[in-house]
Amino acid sequence: MIGWLIALAVISVVAVTGGVGWSRLQKEHQEARSLPLDAVDFGKLNDGTYHGAYAGGMYKWRANECDVTVTDGKITGIQMVGSSDPGGKNTQHEALYDRVIAAQSLQVDTISGATLTSKAYLQAVENALLQAQGE
Amino acid sequence: MADKPAAQATQDAMGTVMTHRAFGPQAREAVAAACEEVARVEGHLSRFLPGSEVSRVNRSAGIRSESVSHETYDLLAQALEVSRRCPGCFDVTIAPLVTLWSQARESRTQPDAASIQHALSRVDYRDLILDPGSRTAGLRRAGQSLDLGGIGKGLAADRIVEVLRGYGIYSAYSNLGGNVVTVGARPDGQPWQVGIQHPRHETGLIGAVAVAGQTVVTSGDYQRCFIDRQGQRHHHILDPTTGHPAHTGLISVSIVTARSVTADPLATALFVAGLDSGFACLRSFPQTEAILVDSNLHVYVTGGLRSRFRPAPGIDVTILN
Repeated sequence: MIGWLIALAVISVVAVTGGVGWSRLQKEHQEARSLPLDAVDFGKLNDGTYHGAYAGGMYKWRANECDVTVTDGKITGIQMVGSSDPGGKNTQHEALYDRVIAAQSLQVDTISGATLTSKAYLQAVENALLQAQGE
Repeated sequence: MADKPAAQATQDAMGTVMTHRAFGPQAREAVAAACEEVARVEGHLSRFLPGSEVSRVNRSAGIRSESVSHETYDLLAQALEVSRRCPGCFDVTIAPLVTLWSQARESRTQPDAASIQHALSRVDYRDLILDPGSRTAGLRRAGQSLDLGGIGKGLAADRIVEVLRGYGIYSAYSNLGGNVVTVGARPDGQPWQVGIQHPRHETGLIGAVAVAGQTVVTSGDYQRCFIDRQGQRHHHILDPTTGHPAHTGLISVSIVTARSVTADPLATALFVAGLDSGFACLRSFPQTEAILVDSNLHVYVTGGLRSRFRPAPGIDVTILN
């Protein structure tokens, strides 16, 4: 009887912990997906190198920093300078940076034919570009 | 832009991710209503929701016609219109084939010829019977089934425009997993610049088109494709005549016009038709323009977009007249 009670208690603790963890994970994902990059006016960028930081979602998992270089009014380079993302060691962010550079060359508002996935990396880029836009 | 109140919402619906962005005093309420409208439309049209109107018609195939809403009726009528004007290139009764190729994707095995023939024998838009008097829709034979995957997002996009306008929105766009629809121009009065995804470089654009109050829908062979165990690549745009993914030399088709319910099926139809037949089919739809990309990455643009399409650096363009 006592054995059953202990087993039940253990199962309950595992279930509750797992449930809370899952809901937190979902919140962080929701937050990452809805991040925009269109506050930036790509037509008004001043030359220079700008540092951008994003503090991460609700639980700081995707905090990251980057340097964005603007030459002749165009983004010519984006370098990641730090990330707390556990998956940040892969090269996914580089593809996203390339997409930013491609999008600004034609100054588009949105893209037809692409399923857009905004990522936290883009928020740091946006924060850098808002400085590049100047006053 | 910054001085105009803006709101943006992202939602998962119709098997994809959608983003709605609106400018105006009621932007926040407007994008929330747009999300609800998409969910409502999906509730009518999805063949995966047992309670939808389309599921009801599918269950009654070969038995009887079912009464449907004005909205669903008009959508089915529009689908038939595209099927008639672009024969053999678009078919809403394609569900048996879509199911077969979805299973193929799961198992990474190309369907055998007999299975394809069996599914194909059930695909025929002429078996969709619409009665305007009683506003009913029915499928003539048992085993037939509707799939509105090639037109449903078009209706959702047009409905989003109506809903946003109802909130006094004069400037907005929605991106329904790559189907773009716009309301008016940008807040600064300039047209929206809609990039066209490069079909071979995930992070690049093939060009951009300037639009105001129009829709831009793209169908490409790079979307939802899979590689089977033999290493052969298969994309998702099925040819309702052969039962296989369409191979007619085009790898991406974008349609630019007023209504998304026209653009959505036409993007598929032109992809299946290929360059020459596709251009002929397009001519029967007034004020409808296209951007077509062939397998050499050469871009063809219809005359009406001559001054509105900007190719990416290094991309060659031919104007079709």
